Amino acid sequence: MHRREVLSFATRGIGAVALTDLLLREGVAAHEVTAPESNVTGPHFPPRVRRVIQIVLCGGLSQVDSFDYKPLLRRYHGTPLISPHRPDVFFGQVGLLRKSDWAFKQRGQSGLWISDLFPHLSQVADELTVINSMYAETSNHTPATFQQNSGFRLNGFPTCGAWLSYGMGNETDELPSYVVIPDPRGVPAGGSINWSNGFLSARHQGVVLRGSGQPLDDLFPEEPIPPATELASRQLLANLNRRHLQQRGTSDALLARMRSYELAAKMQSAVPVVANLDRETALTHRQYGLGGKATADFGRACLLARRLVERGVRFVQLFSGGAFVRPRINWDGHEDMVRNHGREAARIDRPLAALIRDLRQRGLFDDTLVLFTSEFGRTPFAQSAASTLGTGRDHNQNGFSVWLAGAGLRGGFSYGDTDDVGWKAVNQRVHWHDFHATVLHLLGIDHRRLTFYHNGIQRRLTNVHGNVVKKILS
Amino acid sequence: MKNAVATGLFPLLFLVQLTVSTTPLHASEPLAWNAARFDRELAPLLATHCLTCHQGKAPKGGLDLSQRAAAFSGGESGRVITPGKPAASLLLARVEASEMPPDKPLPLRARKRLRAWITSGAVWGTDPIQVLPSPAPQRADTEWWSLQPLTRPPLPATQHDNWVRNPIDAFVLRRLRAQQLTPAIEISPSQLLRRLHFDLLGLPPTSTDLLDFTNHLEKNRETTIHSTVSRLLSSRHFGERWARHWLDVVRFGESQGFERDKLRPHSYHYRDWVIRALNRDLPYNEFARLQIAGDVLAPDDPESVIATGFLVAGAYDEVGQSQRSKAMRAVVRQDELEDIVGTLGQTFLGLTVQCARCHDHKFDPIQQAEYYRLTSAVGGVRHGVRQVISPSSKQRQQELIREMTQLRGRLQTLEQTAQNQLLATQTGIARKLPLRVQPVARWDFDETLNDRIGKAHAIQHPAARRSGGALLLDRDKGYAATPPIEFGLTTKTLEAWVQLKNLDQRGGSALTIQHLNGQKFDAIVFGERESRHWMAGSEGYLRTRPFAALPETTTETLVQLAITYQQDGTITAYRNGKPYGKPYRVTNPLTFAAGKWMVLFGLRHGAPAAEKQLQGLLDCAQIYDRALEPQEIETSYLLETHRISHDRVLAALSPVQRSHYKQDLVALQLREETLKNHAAYPVYAVTPKPAEVAYVLSRGNPATPGKAVSAGGVAAVPGPTADFGLSPQAPDAVRRKALAEWVTDNHNPLFSRVIVNRLWHYHFGVGIVSTPNDFGYNGGRPSHPELLDWLATELVASNWSLKHVHRLIVTSATYRQDSRVRPECLLRDAENRLLWRRNPQRLEAEALRDTMLFAAGQLNRQLGGPPYQDFTTFVSNSQFYQITDPVGAQFNRRTIYRTWLRSGRNRFLDAFDCPDPATTAPRRVVTTTPTQSLALLNHSFVLRMARHMADRITRETGPNPSDQAARAVLLAYSRPATDEDLEPSTRFIQEHGLAAFCRVLFNSNEFLYID
Repeated sequence: MHRREVLSFATRGIGAVALTDLLLREGVAAHEVTAPESNVTGPHFPPRVRRVIQIVLCGGLSQVDSFDYKPLLRRYHGTPLISPHRPDVFFGQVGLLRKSDWAFKQRGQSGLWISDLFPHLSQVADELTVINSMYAETSNHTPATFQQNSGFRLNGFPTCGAWLSYGMGNETDELPSYVVIPDPRGVPAGGSINWSNGFLSARHQGVVLRGSGQPLDDLFPEEPIPPATELASRQLLANLNRRHLQQRGTSDALLARMRSYELAAKMQSAVPVVANLDRETALTHRQYGLGGKATADFGRACLLARRLVERGVRFVQLFSGGAFVRPRINWDGHEDMVRNHGREAARIDRPLAALIRDLRQRGLFDDTLVLFTSEFGRTPFAQSAASTLGTGRDHNQNGFSVWLAGAGLRGGFSYGDTDDVGWKAVNQRVHWHDFHATVLHLLGIDHRRLTFYHNGIQRRLTNVHGNVVKKILS
Repeated sequence: MKNAVATGLFPLLFLVQLTVSTTPLHASEPLAWNAARFDRELAPLLATHCLTCHQGKAPKGGLDLSQRAAAFSGGESGRVITPGKPAASLLLARVEASEMPPDKPLPLRARKRLRAWITSGAVWGTDPIQVLPSPAPQRADTEWWSLQPLTRPPLPATQHDNWVRNPIDAFVLRRLRAQQLTPAIEISPSQLLRRLHFDLLGLPPTSTDLLDFTNHLEKNRETTIHSTVSRLLSSRHFGERWARHWLDVVRFGESQGFERDKLRPHSYHYRDWVIRALNRDLPYNEFARLQIAGDVLAPDDPESVIATGFLVAGAYDEVGQSQRSKAMRAVVRQDELEDIVGTLGQTFLGLTVQCARCHDHKFDPIQQAEYYRLTSAVGGVRHGVRQVISPSSKQRQQELIREMTQLRGRLQTLEQTAQNQLLATQTGIARKLPLRVQPVARWDFDETLNDRIGKAHAIQHPAARRSGGALLLDRDKGYAATPPIEFGLTTKTLEAWVQLKNLDQRGGSALTIQHLNGQKFDAIVFGERESRHWMAGSEGYLRTRPFAALPETTTETLVQLAITYQQDGTITAYRNGKPYGKPYRVTNPLTFAAGKWMVLFGLRHGAPAAEKQLQGLLDCAQIYDRALEPQEIETSYLLETHRISHDRVLAALSPVQRSHYKQDLVALQLREETLKNHAAYPVYAVTPKPAEVAYVLSRGNPATPGKAVSAGGVAAVPGPTADFGLSPQAPDAVRRKALAEWVTDNHNPLFSRVIVNRLWHYHFGVGIVSTPNDFGYNGGRPSHPELLDWLATELVASNWSLKHVHRLIVTSATYRQDSRVRPECLLRDAENRLLWRRNPQRLEAEALRDTMLFAAGQLNRQLGGPPYQDFTTFVSNSQFYQITDPVGAQFNRRTIYRTWLRSGRNRFLDAFDCPDPATTAPRRVVTTTPTQSLALLNHSFVLRMARHMADRITRETGPNPSDQAARAVLLAYSRPATDEDLEPSTRFIQEHGLAAFCRVLFNSNEFLYID
C-alpha cells in the first residue's frame, strides 16, 4: 500500500481503516506495532447501513404510554396488579394499575400502534421498527444507561459509538467519527462516561459538538492570532518537524503527527460549515421546529445530526434529557406522567419526524440507521401507596420499548410482546446484548468478532452474549 | 506449546489412539460424537478455518457452514456432507486434497477429526455455531511459564563482552547475537540526560544539569552516569513520576463515578502515600501488604490505613448500594467485589481472576470457587471515610488539652476577679459572681438584625422595625425570624430583654425556637394561659405550667426574662436576674436537631396571627446551649444592666494582671493552633464491616448461591499455600492479613515477576511481557524469560528495593542505546522485542503539561496535599463538573495533583491519551489525531504557557532574537541550539514574536518525543 494512501484517514472500508488506526499508533514503523489494536480484518458480511444516529431518552420512556398498546390496561385501570410476587420496584411503591394518558391509534399503512404522545412521529410510522419486548438488568438509571450504551452496567467500558469508531474508522477526514450532542438543559448522569472510549484508545471517545458558539473545543485559538502569524507558524512547524525527521531516520509515528496537522486544518474549515444551520432553507428550519419554543433545542440537534451523517460521521448520539436534577429535565416521570412525558415528547416529536422524512428524502436512509432508545421503561401501575392511583410511574426494567429505522429493517413492524398490562416482556424477549448484536449486524459486523483484548479477555460490545434479532431484518 | 496437547483442542485420548496403535483399546476408546463434542471440537475448527468465507448473506460458493440446515443442504456444487459416508462428502474431499481452505490447508489432525465426525454420522451441536462460548482451543495449565517457581538463572557467556555494563546486558546481548543483531551505539549525552530525567522524574533537566552532566561525562563517564542516576532517584519528583504509573494501574479516581459521582475530597492521602512510599523506597512487599491490609496490620498508624485506599480507589455506585430492592443491591455489591478482587489480582499477580466470576477461567487455571475465595478474603472491605490519628498525635492532643484547660482556668480567674471588682466599684454590689457565659447566638438589634456570634441572622417580617437599638414589635405589624439553624440544641437557656407595650395583651412571644414546620416550639410567652404572667410556651401547653410568680407590672423599662431547660425536663424561669416563681419538671423535653429549627422574635410559633404576636420592643435576645445556673443568669442581668462589656472587664485588669493575661492568652492560642495539627483527619480508605460469608454464585448471580467458601488464594500459584485454613465466618482482619501474606510471599513468583516487568515496561515502552496486567494464556509471552527471572530474584535479594532495580535498568548499556532505526535490524525484528535500540517515547499527557509549565518557568513544585481543581462544580442530586482552565500558581502544580474525576475528564489531557480512571490502565496507548493537534495549537493553557515562556526568556536573555531563540530551544529540547535552528527561528521571532515561536516549539515533534 502506498504511504499516502495508508496515512489517509478517509480510506474506505473496515480493513483499510483498521490498518490506518494501526499506523497511527505508537511504534514508529508500520511493522513495529507491538500489539494490534484491532483484529478486524474486513466487513464480516455486506453491511446494510454505514452510519448511525442514536437518540437516547434519559430517565425512562413509558412504553405503555407510547409504543406498547395494552387495551387490557384500560380495563384494569384502578385495580391491583395480579402477580405471584410483589413487584420489586426501585422506590418500593406499588400503586394500582394505571391506563395510558394518551389514546393509542393504528398508524400509517402498516397499522403500527403509536399513542398520541407522538402525533408527528406517528405520521412516519411505516418507517419504524418497534421492539416491545426489551428488558434490562437493572432499574437503577445510571448503570442501566451505561448498559444501554456499552453493554455493561459498570464504568469503564467503550460505548457503541466508540466501538464503531474503533472497528470501522471514519468516512471523513474532516470531522470526528463519533459525535455527541447533549441536551442543552444538561448532560446525562455520569457525563462523559456515557460516551467513553473505556479501554479503547482515547481517540474513540465521543466528541461533544455544540449547536452554538465555538462548535468544537479548541477548533480555533482561544485568543486571536493574526492570520500571517498562524500561517508562518504552521510553515515553521512543518520545517522543524521535517528536519527532525531527517535526523531521526524513518518513523511513521513522526510522519503521522505531521499529517495530523494537515487534517487539523481541514477540520478547521469543515466543522464551522457543518455546524452552521443558517445554510439550511427556511422550510427545513420550519420542519425541524427550529422556530418553536419547545422544539428548537432538539430540532437543532436533529438537523445537526443529519448534516453530520451526510458528511460521513460514523456515529451521532443525541440526548433527550439530562441528569437527575430538580426540577426534572428528563423522562423520569415519577410524579406526574402527563406533565412530564407531555413536556418531554413535545420537545422531540416534531424534530424526530422531520429527521426521518429528511433522511428519506435525501436518500440517506439507504445507509443510515436511526436508533431510539431509553435505559428502561416505566411501570404499568402508579408509583403510589398500595390501593391508590397516583399520577406517576416508577422504573421498569422488565419490559420496555425501543425503535429502529433505516435500511435493512422491516418498517412499520413491531416485534415481541409484554404481558397483558405491559409489566414484563414475555415473548421474543430482547436484551441489550441482542439489540447491540443486531445493530452491529446491520453494519456488517459479526458482534462476536469485533473484539479488543483488555485485562485477560477479548472484550466485545456484547460481552459473551447476544443474538441478532433476525425477524426485524428485511 | 507442550501444554496445548494435553488440555487443548485435541483431547489426549483421541490423539493417543491415532498415533499409538499399541495402546490397549479400553484406554483409548474414542468418545462418541454428540452435540457437546461437536461444540467442543468441530465448531471451533469450522469457525477458525471455514466460516470467514462460508457464512452470512452471500457465502462463497453458496455454501454456509455456520448453520445445520445450510451446511447439510450444500452450495453451488451440491451436497458437501453425507453423514456416515466420508467418501461421498465433497467437503472432506476438498479438504483432504488441500484445496480448502485455499491458502492454508488444514493440519493433518484437523482433517482426521473432520473425517471422524462425518464417519460417525455428522451430529450437529449448537445451531448456528456459537464460536466464542465454546471451550478455548488452547489454554494455560499449571505448567504455564508464569506459574513456575522463581529460580535465579545463570548469567550467559555474553557477560564478558565489552558492551556489557551489567547482567541485564548479558541477557539482552545473547538474544541479539542469536538473531545476528547488534546493539545500537550509545545515545548522545544530552539525549541520555533528557531520557533519564523524563523516565525518572517526568521533567526535563535544567540547563545547569545539562552543563554539569556533559562536562563531567568527558572526565569520568561511568561515575557521572551513576551519580546522576543516584541524584535523580533521590529527587522528591521521582515519587511523583512513578506514583502516576501506579495510579494508572490501580484505577485511582477522586469521585464516585456512576450516577452521583460525588467528589472524594479525602482520597488524595492515598496518592500522597504512594509518592512518599516510592520516594523512600518502601520495600515492595511491604508496599503491597499495606495496601491490602494496612488498616488491620497496623490500625494505629495513619499511613497504613491510608494505604488501603488502593482497595477502594475504584468507582462506587451509591444509588445502587442504597436502592430499595435487596436483590439488586446484592448484584451491585458483587460488582464492587469484582472491581476489588479483579484489580488486586491484576495489579500484584498479573492474574485476571475476575474472569472466573461466572465460570472457571476459560484460559488460565483459576477455578470459579477460587474467585469466590478471593471475594471472601476481601468480604469486609467497604468504601468510606474514616478518621485517623497517629499515637504520638493522640498523646500530644491530650497534653495540649490538659494545658489548655489550665490556661483557660487561669484566664477565667483573672477575668472573674476583674469583672467582680468592676461590678463592685460601679454598683456597690460586692458579690462573687461567676464569669459571664458566652451564648451560642445573640441578637442586640443595635445596627442590624444579625447574630453577633454565629450565622443565625434574622430577617424582619413584614413590617417589624428596628429603632433605637431595639426591634419594635407591634400587633399586626410584624415579627422577625431566622433561617434554619445549623447546630442542634437539647438543654438550653432562652434570654430576652423586653419592654411590653401594655400588660393586657395575651399570647405573644418575646423569643421562640421552633421546628421548621412551626408545630413544636419552646418560647418565652406573655399572658397566654394566665394573664399578666410570663410562661414557658409550648405546643398545646405540653410543657407549659404556671410558675406561680407575681404578675408583671412594668411597661416603663426593659425587663430581663430567662428560661432554662435542663436535661431532666426541669424548666426554670428568671426575671431580672432572680428566680421567677418555682421551677417545674416535664417528662417530654423537646430537642432541636441541627438544620431542623429556627428562631422567631415577637411571634409565638407558626404562621403570623394577631393572637400570637407580642406588642412592645425587644432590646436583646440570647440563646445558650445549656441550662445556666442562677448566678450565671444574675451575672448576665447585672452586666447587661450596667453595660459592662468584655472589653471593659479586660481594661480593668492591673498592668501585671494584663501582662499575665496576655501571656496566657498567647499560650492558649498557640496550643489551639498546634492542636489543629494533631487533630484526627478524614481519609478515604477501607472502612471495614463484618465480613460476609462468601458463596460460589452460579453464573455469578447472587440469587443462586452455591456452597459457602472460606478466604483463600489460587492453588495454581506455586509457593505459599492457597488454603488460608480459615472458616467461612473468619473475621475481616484475619482474612485480609492472610491474603496479604499469600500475595507477598517471597516464594510467590508472580508477585516479583509482575512488578519488575512493570518497571521495565515504563523504562522501555514495552514490558518483557507486553501485557503487564496479564501473565496468563491471553497475555504476552516474555521476550527475555531469564532476564525477567533474574530481575525478579534481584528484587527479592535486595530486600524488595524498587530503586535498586531502577538503577540496574537505567545504567545498563541496553537502556543507553540510541533510538534510531537501523533498516537491517528492522528486517529481523520489526517490533524491537530484542532491544536493538531504545524505542522513542512520546510524552504522556501529564509529562507534557508539566514540561510546558517547566519551560514557561511556571511550575509550582509543591509536594503533596489536596489536589488542584480544574473545574467548577455544583451538586443537584448528582455532582456536576465543568472543566475549566484556571489561572494561578496554585493550579500550576504537577499534573499528578489534578483532582481525577470520573465524569469530568480534561479534554486536553485526554487528547494525549490520559486513561479513563474507571478502569485499570496497565499500559497507555499512544495515538495521533487531528483533535490532538488542535488542542496543542489552540488550547488556552498552551497559549498562556507560550506567553509565559516568552516573558521568561526575555527577562533572562534580553531583547536579542537570536539569544531568545537559543534559550527557547534549550528549554524545549534540552540541548544547545545549532546554527540550523537559529537562522529560521530568529527570523520568525523578528516577524511574529517570541510567544508565537514558543507555541511552535510546543507543537514540534522534537518537543513531544524523547529519544
